[in-house]
Amino acid sequence: MNDTKPDTVPEKCINCSAELTSPVVCSGCHTLYPLPQSVDYFGLLGLPRAYDLDESALEKRFLSVSRHIHPDYFGSASGEMQQLSVRLSAELNQAVKVLRQPVLRAGYLLELCGGPGPASDRTVPPEVLGETMMLREEIEEAQADEDHPALQRLRKTVEEKRAVLVERIAELARRLPNAAAEDKTALRHTLNAVKYYDNMLELLWEA
Amino acid sequence: MTSKRDIIIGIDLGTTNSLVAWSGPAGPEVIDDGDGPMLPSVVAYADAGGVERIGAPARAHAIENPTNTVYSIKRLIGQSFDDLAEELGRLPYPVERRSGEDGRDMPVVRIGAKRITPQEVSAVILGELRERASRHFGETVNRAVITVPAYFDDAQRQATRDAGAIAGLEVVRIINEPTAAALAYGLDRNKHATVAVYDLGGGTFDVTILRLSGEVFEVLSTAGDTHLGGDDFDRTIMDLAAREIAEQFKLRIESPATQQALRTFAENVKIALSNQDSAALEIDLGEGRTYQRELTVAEFEALIAPYVERTLASCRTALRDARLQPADIDQVVMVGGSTRVPAVRRRVGELFGRAPYTALDPDQVVALGAAIQASVLAGERRDLLLLDVTPLSLGIETMGGAMGKLIMKNTKMPCQATETFTTFQDGQTAVKINVLQGERELARDCRSLGVFNLTGIPPMPAGMPKVDVTFLIDQNGILNVSAKEQRSGAVAAIQIVPAHGLTPDEVKRMTAESIAHAADDMQAHRLIDLRNQVAFDTNKAEQMLERFGEQIDDALRDRIAGELTALRTFADETTDNDELARRLKTFDELTVPLAEAGISSGLREPAQPQGRR
Ligand SMILES: [Zn+2]
Repeated sequence: MNDTKPDTVPEKCINCSAELTSPVVCSGCHTLYPLPQSVDYFGLLGLPRAYDLDESALEKRFLSVSRHIHPDYFGSASGEMQQLSVRLSAELNQAVKVLRQPVLRAGYLLELCGGPGPASDRTVPPEVLGETMMLREEIEEAQADEDHPALQRLRKTVEEKRAVLVERIAELARRLPNAAAEDKTALRHTLNAVKYYDNMLELLWEA
Repeated sequence: MTSKRDIIIGIDLGTTNSLVAWSGPAGPEVIDDGDGPMLPSVVAYADAGGVERIGAPARAHAIENPTNTVYSIKRLIGQSFDDLAEELGRLPYPVERRSGEDGRDMPVVRIGAKRITPQEVSAVILGELRERASRHFGETVNRAVITVPAYFDDAQRQATRDAGAIAGLEVVRIINEPTAAALAYGLDRNKHATVAVYDLGGGTFDVTILRLSGEVFEVLSTAGDTHLGGDDFDRTIMDLAAREIAEQFKLRIESPATQQALRTFAENVKIALSNQDSAALEIDLGEGRTYQRELTVAEFEALIAPYVERTLASCRTALRDARLQPADIDQVVMVGGSTRVPAVRRRVGELFGRAPYTALDPDQVVALGAAIQASVLAGERRDLLLLDVTPLSLGIETMGGAMGKLIMKNTKMPCQATETFTTFQDGQTAVKINVLQGERELARDCRSLGVFNLTGIPPMPAGMPKVDVTFLIDQNGILNVSAKEQRSGAVAAIQIVPAHGLTPDEVKRMTAESIAHAADDMQAHRLIDLRNQVAFDTNKAEQMLERFGEQIDDALRDRIAGELTALRTFADETTDNDELARRLKTFDELTVPLAEAGISSGLREPAQPQGRR
């Protein structure tokens, strides 16, 4: 299996010379092309590289690209085309998973714009640490007491606090790619903070 | 219309029953051999290890032949022997751990001196379905879509694919049973809805939540239990009877034959209780002793309640993973024969707050869905798009024996993750990676798919090599692993020791054996045909000799009489088909003057049946 990615997008289909509207597939004859290095998740789905996106366009594009590259349509194709369709579909599925969720989308965009990644900066704002510690204690108590009304209240609180963080993330992510260095750092820290609330919501799902 | 050569059949390989379907011009249909569409998933072996009976005849003789009659093999396929400890005590046929020094752990069925893998047993059932389809089309079918429970792991899926290969089938796709059911359900509705498919079969349970929008079937989540099914309902009745018999008569039910009889009996009671309020249990224990009692629906429902509750817990997990509440589900579709139990329908209805949809034949819908998917794979239609998810998280064993997750459950397939590995010693050229599937925190609580031996790393100081290993789960839910060293670009080799499966060489050997067996069987059939023809022709010649013998010359008459006896003896003794056919032909030529004498005597012989020489 050859994983080397080409650098550029072909303009015309090598098989039928039709103009390529997608970087990975000819919509006319279904010839597949490996995903070029230069194409990111936004490009794969034919969307502008920005935090705000048209959700219905994302879903439409996802289905239309899937219809051209899904391995089920390559049942009688060559082994090479079959393998390529599997790998491209895996990339496409990952792309749509990231772009569908605002928090993942913001994190992905931050990394595309050279911001600090979660591996290099794990800082969480100290006020968040204090607050989540208190909330966790309350959750554990309510769970021990099987106090369902309290758990439901807590779930509402956590959801509201998370929504505030997501709003902050959106605000910062909209400043990309030309955001100031401190904005990028703030965005990373807020993204790190959201994870704490997500983990609490996992505990509270059935409350 | 496409040529028959391109036909891909859809197979529902079930714990209790199996079916084969195809997509014809009038839509998907199940292929019925005249004995009904369902082939019981039962194989009876002769003591020497050869296949004796398949399907209904095997099941009918199960009581006489309990230790050689293999059923519910789906519960064993792709499993480790240790996983099955509880299961095995309940099977009347002997299962043992496969011996071998390669560290693999898989169960094998012991038939006489032979050891038969679950893959080979499943291959017999698949082979029978393949033949059924081939007879239907008048030519050999070579390609199939096979369904598996959504909750099957990589090893179980690989094992099912291997079983197909052993049966001489190219398995073009493994598809999840509830998803197949959704295809059959949703296709003629073509609407937008969120649907839960509740699939309770003989030995497995799945629940899958999908979003249907027009021709797109997008699975949101799936959950289940590969060791929970209608078999367990039967067992509650068996266990109840066995316990009460022990109390009342101080008798223990031990013989495989009695166990098998009890199992059949329990199944019938369960079916009876689906449409009546009580059923009579009556078992003749010999020596004038009879165990008798009435079992009410309420008692039966209390017995099975723990199992039904387990399925509901899986439904809640699936809802949670899809981020949905029960009220978000527009329709609940029931699949699998065990959903005929009224208590199951009622409890599922209560959970989702709506009556489940039961208009489809729960036995056929999975095979029909497989046939629909087969028509997509055959290139006959491009309108349907099936987006399914991986049921289990995939990861690797990290330091300290933890499970390091790389791909989360309910991720859309195909999906992939790349992890970088390095070395701990100078000059180290190989790394072992234990690949896991499951949701638990510790590696030992998850399923090991096998140890992947990464070799061919260029010798470098410790920590210098960076090997990117890509774990790719394809659309069938089957794992493919590839590796590359970052610096040198050297493609490291990945050698897989399957923990509970067969190596490609073993599959090849078993395939060759099963083809050889099929050839043997053909030889045997031909011999039987030839012997019948010999009996017919010699009997006829004998009668003619009596009536018209004096009309031909003495030497010929004596020769025919001599050859007649010789041919009968030879036919009884020989296994050489070609030689027998040659001698039969010579004999028939020799008797031509006798036949002519008969005709000239004005006797009209009845038309001779078409010989199969
Ligand atoms: Zn083209």
